[in-house]
Amino acid sequence: MLSAIWETEGLQTVGIVVLVFASIKLLHLLGLISFSEDSVEDELELSTVRHRPEGLEQLEAQTSFSRKELQILYRGFKNECPSGVVNEETFKDIYAQFFPQGDASTYAHFLFNAFDTDHNGSVSFEDFVMGLSILLRGTIQEKLNWAFNLYDINKDGYITKEEMLDIMKAIYDMMGKCTYPVLREETPRQHVEVFFQKMDKNKDGVVTIDEFIDCCQNDENIMRSMHLFENVL
Amino acid sequence: MAAGVAAWLPFARAAAIGWMPVASTPMPIPPQEKTKGKDGLIILNVSGTKFQTWRTTLERYPDTLLGSTERDFFFHEETNEYFFDRDPDIFRHILNFFRTGKLHYPRQECIAAYDEELAFFGIIPEIIGDCCYEEYKDRRRENAERLQDDEEMDMSNDAPPVNLTYREFLWRAFENPHTSTLALVFYYVTGFFIAISVMANVVETVPCGVLPNRSKEMSCGDRYALAFFCLDTACVMIFTVEYLLRLIAAPSRYKFMKSVMSVIDVVAIMPYYIGLVMTDNDQVSGAFVTLRVFRVFRIFKFSRHSAGLRILGYTLKSCASELGFLLFSLTMAIIIFATVMFYAEKGSTASKFTSIPAAFWYTIVTMTTLGYGDMVPKTIVGKVFGSICSLSGVLVIALPVPVIVSNFSRIYHQSQRAEKRRAQRASKEAGRALVAKAPSPPFESQHNHLLHCLEKTTNHEFVDEQTFQANCMEISVMNKSGSRASSLSSSPHGLSSCCSRRHRKKSSFSLPSTNNQELSTIQIRERPVANSRSSLNAKLDETVPLKCDKPYITPSMVSLSAPVVTSSDGHGSITTAAYSQSNIVRVSAL
Repeated sequence: MLSAIWETEGLQTVGIVVLVFASIKLLHLLGLISFSEDSVEDELELSTVRHRPEGLEQLEAQTSFSRKELQILYRGFKNECPSGVVNEETFKDIYAQFFPQGDASTYAHFLFNAFDTDHNGSVSFEDFVMGLSILLRGTIQEKLNWAFNLYDINKDGYITKEEMLDIMKAIYDMMGKCTYPVLREETPRQHVEVFFQKMDKNKDGVVTIDEFIDCCQNDENIMRSMHLFENVL
Repeated sequence: MAAGVAAWLPFARAAAIGWMPVASTPMPIPPQEKTKGKDGLIILNVSGTKFQTWRTTLERYPDTLLGSTERDFFFHEETNEYFFDRDPDIFRHILNFFRTGKLHYPRQECIAAYDEELAFFGIIPEIIGDCCYEEYKDRRRENAERLQDDEEMDMSNDAPPVNLTYREFLWRAFENPHTSTLALVFYYVTGFFIAISVMANVVETVPCGVLPNRSKEMSCGDRYALAFFCLDTACVMIFTVEYLLRLIAAPSRYKFMKSVMSVIDVVAIMPYYIGLVMTDNDQVSGAFVTLRVFRVFRIFKFSRHSAGLRILGYTLKSCASELGFLLFSLTMAIIIFATVMFYAEKGSTASKFTSIPAAFWYTIVTMTTLGYGDMVPKTIVGKVFGSICSLSGVLVIALPVPVIVSNFSRIYHQSQRAEKRRAQRASKEAGRALVAKAPSPPFESQHNHLLHCLEKTTNHEFVDEQTFQANCMEISVMNKSGSRASSLSSSPHGLSSCCSRRHRKKSSFSLPSTNNQELSTIQIRERPVANSRSSLNAKLDETVPLKCDKPYITPSMVSLSAPVVTSSDGHGSITTAAYSQSNIVRVSAL
């Protein structure tokens, strides 16, 4: 008998407690009470960067392109990037379209850093055109300089084996999976070994800019291929 | 590849200079640029509206009218412009396609007119961009259906062709009652009898008054048993005849028997025949009575007469998952509240909540806000929880139902859209593939040259999926061949096959003189290849690439093979012979 009374009373207490909590929760849900301060709203980041390049005369003076060539280049550039600058993602996308079989993103990343000379995270038309000017119309010295700059990832003036291995892996990544002969794990590393044997004259484990330029100038193949793309535009 | 990216090709090729110091082999010669066409503005006069664009813009898509020499047919000498006698508004979109590479479909245009313009200018509609593709396909389908409906109506109004067999004529009469008067009459007669039969079923159970020699009130069915029986017989006879006629006329009897309507027909008339068979057996009369319930299924025969019913049925069928979820959440809530109510009311005397399942009834009635009042809580706690139950019932049921309804319509449309997209994807890919071949030939050759440079840099070749799989299989097959003899016999074959492949691919390019380098490396190569030959059984992943590597791979191979030691001279002589033979093959390939 007593236990029955206790049971009902206990249940009554439970019922009242539940009721109180439920009402608090309901009010909280309705937004009348707030417990914590976390009312963060997403802010829409408007990143409309507009960039206008320098005038045509200045660019003509700074690069070795003719006026007409600059016009053609800019029209193509602006068509692809209406905002006037390329960020790394777009760059990777564009470059990946040329190498559908492999993964061009790593190499595109290095390429982007090589073009982005002022390291502000985006390539403007000036950067683009300066880079192209060196690559297409520059002297052998300038081209080799540019290539050295590309390989030297941390821009400290030395190419280490690790940096070269990264570059090599990036290049091999662009080949993709379906190659003949089948790509193996150690192929990039072997290639790096070859490269260092050729370039590293004093065998100190790094390649300096002088060693690089010297060695390239003595190599017929490389010299010949440097002139390969001159009539691209 | 988008033609817009063609603008970046010079950049990609220039960036290839980054590979040059790394590559140890000479690069292929770039394709000669043909003399470029005059780069200038073209004036396109479309019914008086003048459009101007660069020549190169139009020539991005040489498969279209504007990009090919076909436009010369429209050249107007007097005004030195190209004149097209077409709609300028739609032409605007077509020209934008050339400019941006994306074709858009304007919503306000008529689909037929748009299609005509696309066909005139030689553009396939499959390349419409993703933003407008769905809309375009929807409109097109609507249009096609409308045309089809018109045709069908015309067809049905025509006199039926005389050479239809009786069977086809019958089927046609059943499916489209409007084709002939006889079919229409039959349609109405069956409809009338369905209604009569259903009404009879209903009226049968109404109490009809008391007979003088009985105390209980009788239903009409029992009182006028004979009349109802005759009515039932008549209806069932008509239904049976109709079913048999449909069965005979159906083009595919198996398909017809599987269809829902025929199952309903059978279920509707079965009880009568079963009743005929077992009238006097009291034991199964109970079962027989329940069978008569199925007579109500005759009402579903109306769905042949009403399209709305069919749509409702289809709707419910496709909404099943949402309804299922509603049911599930309701069940959860019912169980929770029933348990709570049971324990709350346990203490009170003479409580109706004898068990949790008994409390289910109370919960359902309360949550659906019916409130019959046959079970009510008596304790305070019970009343508290009971009120919570009814409040939550309102929320649980009333709120999700509109959400489910709108969800259903959205999901329904979405799934239809997904189906459509999947169906359209194939044709879209085909269309895109056609257009993807379109980038101008100079672009393609330059792109190929770029890829060849990459191949040369890495000393590996691009192959397609099948060749790659074949190679893997080849390697694993050669893995199994244990004997030297077989390996020897297979290896020249393998050599020649891969080198011949090489030969085919490289014949287009003439390499600058690398012969000196080659010959100098032959001696160096001797050892590694011999080693690889003998180690065929041991390490096989090296063999294939080493055999077929380019002749001018320099010292890299020497350093590689140093760790590989084995060789036997007798072996070596044979292999060098074979190797020099293969070398000769390679030299001549150049």
